[in-house]
Amino acid sequence: MFAQRLLPSAALLTILLGHAAQAQAPIKTSQPGAAPKPAVGTPLMLRPPAAPKPAARSGPTSLLKVNCTYQDPNFQIPWQKENPGQRRGLGSVLSQRRILVTAQLVANATYIELELSDGTLKIPAKVLARDYEANLALLAADSSPEKTEPFFSQLKPIELDEGATIGDMLALWQSGRVGELIVTPLRISKVLVSGYVVSTPPLLVYEAQGIVRSENNSFTLPAVRGDKLAGLLLRYDSKNQVAALLPAPIIAHFLRDVADGNYEGFPTLGVELQNTQDDQWRDYLGLAGRKGGIYVSRVMKGGSAQSLGIKSGDILLSINGHEVDSRGDYRDERYGALNASHLLRGSALIGDEAQVEVLREGKVLRLKGKLTRRQAEDYLVPPYLFEKGPPYLVLGGVVFGQLTESHLMGFNQRSGAVQRLARIAARPEELEREGRRRVVFLSTILPTPSTQGYDQLSGQVVLEVNGRKITRLRDVAEALKSPVDGIHTLKLREFPHLLHLDAKLVEADNLTLQNGPYRISQLQRLD
Amino acid sequence: MVANAMPAPRTLPRLLTAAYLWLALALSLPAQTASQAIDVGSGEWDGVVNIDVSVLVPNFREPWNSGQPSGGRGTGFLIGPNRFLTNAHVVSNATRILIRTSNDPRPHPARILHIAHDCDLALIEAENPAPFAKVRQLKLGNIPRLNTEVIAIGYPIGGERISVTRGVVSRIDFNLYSHSGVDSHLSIQVDAAINPGNSGGPVLQDGRVVGVAFQGYSGRVAQNVGYMIPVPVIERFLQDIEDGRYDHYVELAISDFAIENPAQKKALKLPDDDVGVLVASVEPKGCAEGVLKAGDVLLKLDDNAVLNNGLIRIGGELMDMSEVVERKFAGDKLRLEFLRDGKPMKAEVTLERFEPYVRMGEQYNKRPRYLVHAGLVFQPMDRNLMDALQIRDAAATHLFDNYLTEHLYLKRPEPVVLTQVLADEINAYFGPYEQSVVESINGKPIRQLSDVAAALDKPDPKHPDFTVIKLLEKGRPLVLKRQLAAQAHPHILKTYGIEQDRFLGH
Repeated sequence: MFAQRLLPSAALLTILLGHAAQAQAPIKTSQPGAAPKPAVGTPLMLRPPAAPKPAARSGPTSLLKVNCTYQDPNFQIPWQKENPGQRRGLGSVLSQRRILVTAQLVANATYIELELSDGTLKIPAKVLARDYEANLALLAADSSPEKTEPFFSQLKPIELDEGATIGDMLALWQSGRVGELIVTPLRISKVLVSGYVVSTPPLLVYEAQGIVRSENNSFTLPAVRGDKLAGLLLRYDSKNQVAALLPAPIIAHFLRDVADGNYEGFPTLGVELQNTQDDQWRDYLGLAGRKGGIYVSRVMKGGSAQSLGIKSGDILLSINGHEVDSRGDYRDERYGALNASHLLRGSALIGDEAQVEVLREGKVLRLKGKLTRRQAEDYLVPPYLFEKGPPYLVLGGVVFGQLTESHLMGFNQRSGAVQRLARIAARPEELEREGRRRVVFLSTILPTPSTQGYDQLSGQVVLEVNGRKITRLRDVAEALKSPVDGIHTLKLREFPHLLHLDAKLVEADNLTLQNGPYRISQLQRLD
Repeated sequence: MVANAMPAPRTLPRLLTAAYLWLALALSLPAQTASQAIDVGSGEWDGVVNIDVSVLVPNFREPWNSGQPSGGRGTGFLIGPNRFLTNAHVVSNATRILIRTSNDPRPHPARILHIAHDCDLALIEAENPAPFAKVRQLKLGNIPRLNTEVIAIGYPIGGERISVTRGVVSRIDFNLYSHSGVDSHLSIQVDAAINPGNSGGPVLQDGRVVGVAFQGYSGRVAQNVGYMIPVPVIERFLQDIEDGRYDHYVELAISDFAIENPAQKKALKLPDDDVGVLVASVEPKGCAEGVLKAGDVLLKLDDNAVLNNGLIRIGGELMDMSEVVERKFAGDKLRLEFLRDGKPMKAEVTLERFEPYVRMGEQYNKRPRYLVHAGLVFQPMDRNLMDALQIRDAAATHLFDNYLTEHLYLKRPEPVVLTQVLADEINAYFGPYEQSVVESINGKPIRQLSDVAAALDKPDPKHPDFTVIKLLEKGRPLVLKRQLAAQAHPHILKTYGIEQDRFLGH
């Protein structure tokens, strides 16, 4: 267990937070329909003394329902999709008729529909931009002007308010059965850096106290301050009555990035840190005379830390002139103590100049560089996969997969094989050193004549095919072009280490798999 | 033979409840039919005895304590002058053993002569042999045939007196022995009721012992499935101890993969005669190291042809090829014939016990070893520790689970775990690091528990005032100021009631 993982990159968060592809509506409904419903046309408004006035003027006209039908990929049977499902949430209308929702709401969408909150008009929509790490998406109508015009004539854009902080009252908006506005007061009790929905490093979150009722459209509820948008509901913990809100500063960052037409996302620091409160260790590190500083125990490939020249074993003293304390916090003017990663992630853009001070071998070094983001190719095991099915290749019944964190979520059983794969995702260094860019593994073995004797295998990492090193799934396709003496030879990292397949028989079985009971339409999807 | 850690084609009965204490029933020696009564007073039963055992279960959580007193009952039977055979699990961790017979009111103190945890057998003797001088001894028979009748004799739950149950031989197979949890040997399944307390008792056919009742399934899992240790395993044990010492089973220490696929046969250049199994891996510290290689095809063990599924034919019956190794002893030779790249090869290996397997199994009659330093408790990693402490640390569980398959024992023959931090000011920030594997101390790699003691005494010259403990896959070391640690150490021992700060073994 790490004492502190300020910027986790690994699976930890996803396990805690669930996964967008499988997430339920953030609010847990006990029994939909069982809850007493307010009388028709009577908005339920709670007004504690400190609550802001519900913005009746702009509120209803900035809110619409977003209904999304989605179909998740099937990670075990990758040529198929899972059953379609439905998510219903609320969208906030921004300028230029753009609709803001969480990315989670529209993940793997097959059909998105906008609906006026009173249910009178519906039009189809499309996704303009999305960022799964920030869990944000922008939608636009996807319909003819004759339909779009009347739809938006009833709506009015809402502006962002980035100024909310601890102690402020917000109002959470929900839409009732006939479109009535339901307003719930929430008070921001904490501002922190915390995980969102995929297993990428955390971002800024407001935590607010309040009792949120469950309604049909529970995804992406807007929280407003006055008549401006202060955040979107990220998740709600009904036991402790704590709402986590995706805050306006992150939304603003996303919108700024979208505006220039070239979406780059949030920079990542790409480090693992250890706090330094332990006096004996501070003495050992030579920190005895100093106040703060946090220990860098690991630097990941492709993050800003790497481009800044931070090394494992450095002690990070300051970021852009802000001192970093022994817990890894800096003093934020608005929020107080806040995780220092915010300086280089939530509040910075890719390409920004950054400057850090580190203590290395007793000397203070000033390091400068441009902020970067860990790109998909920087991950041996990509942290998420949406919108497209997982890559695979079928060879006469042997199904090769290319590992993502989403695969690991999909396996319910944490058996030996899954544990080994999860460990590779958490500690990719060994396979990275071998020059592998992805993890190719035996996902399943379908029983065919050519896989006779191999049916029980799954989860083994493929190291070589026909003598060729496998660094990603494309290499398998390439290597299969050259069987030796009519035999394909697979070298595996785990037991039984060695498999042979008859190249001719495999071709015959491939045909059967396509035309027989399995009806595999495509034998491969390489990216 | 130790069960493959990898998913082997054979399924192991994981649901066996560990170490039932069963009893065997004393039984009259001639074959009994249902109508033949037995006269308990005749003395024919006296060779089957009740074994009453007081036990101290070692405490791995507080290894400095003596353990939890407990007790149990089982069965044993006389097979030689003052020589009682029983199960190892009946007398494991015993502090006192008492033998009682059906016709003698006096308990007779007894002691262990030999105990074999890998095949769950033990030989015990009464401290005073006199009362048993004239008791009739039981004779060993052979492997019974399927569907022939057997009776189990012992002292199972349900009463105090001797009990007899009857059934047939249901199956003869290679099976997991649950006492160690990792060893598999030949065992015979019978449908005679075998219950806790039967353990160690004889199973008879035609008046001869054909097995020692030893394990079964809980009634919730399977009905009428009891197992006995067959004569070949008993005889092997008795032969092994003839020199006064038990040397354990020996291992070829390879893992094999069945050749069922035509492409395998073609690629490995095998004729289509059903002979040959793929060598999937060879343990680097095992006796086949340097002789066999992964990718070889094993054709023959001594004169037994190895079939494609890893079985051999002995006496007309198909059995796991391990049976050849099973019947051998430490130092015995084994002749191998195999194919390498299509070329036939021959070799001979000297069989030995494979130490890394032992750590994977449950161990008994061992006082837990440990070392406490400034409130940090260090213990060697083995099955007992992993189970007792419910270790969940990712690096520790990975190390244990893949100890054999990834050959991690090469680097750490005896991994050491920081199992507990006994809270004190000196270690105030160490709590989250409990259950970590110790990588090095003061720059010295930790390969076994005794390394900890040596490394703590010798500071790294670069940091003479500190003790630096590096943990496996943890981002930071634990650092103690030597002087402060030395001051804190005695009062931590006192506070937590620890008499001795270490037990490193005898």
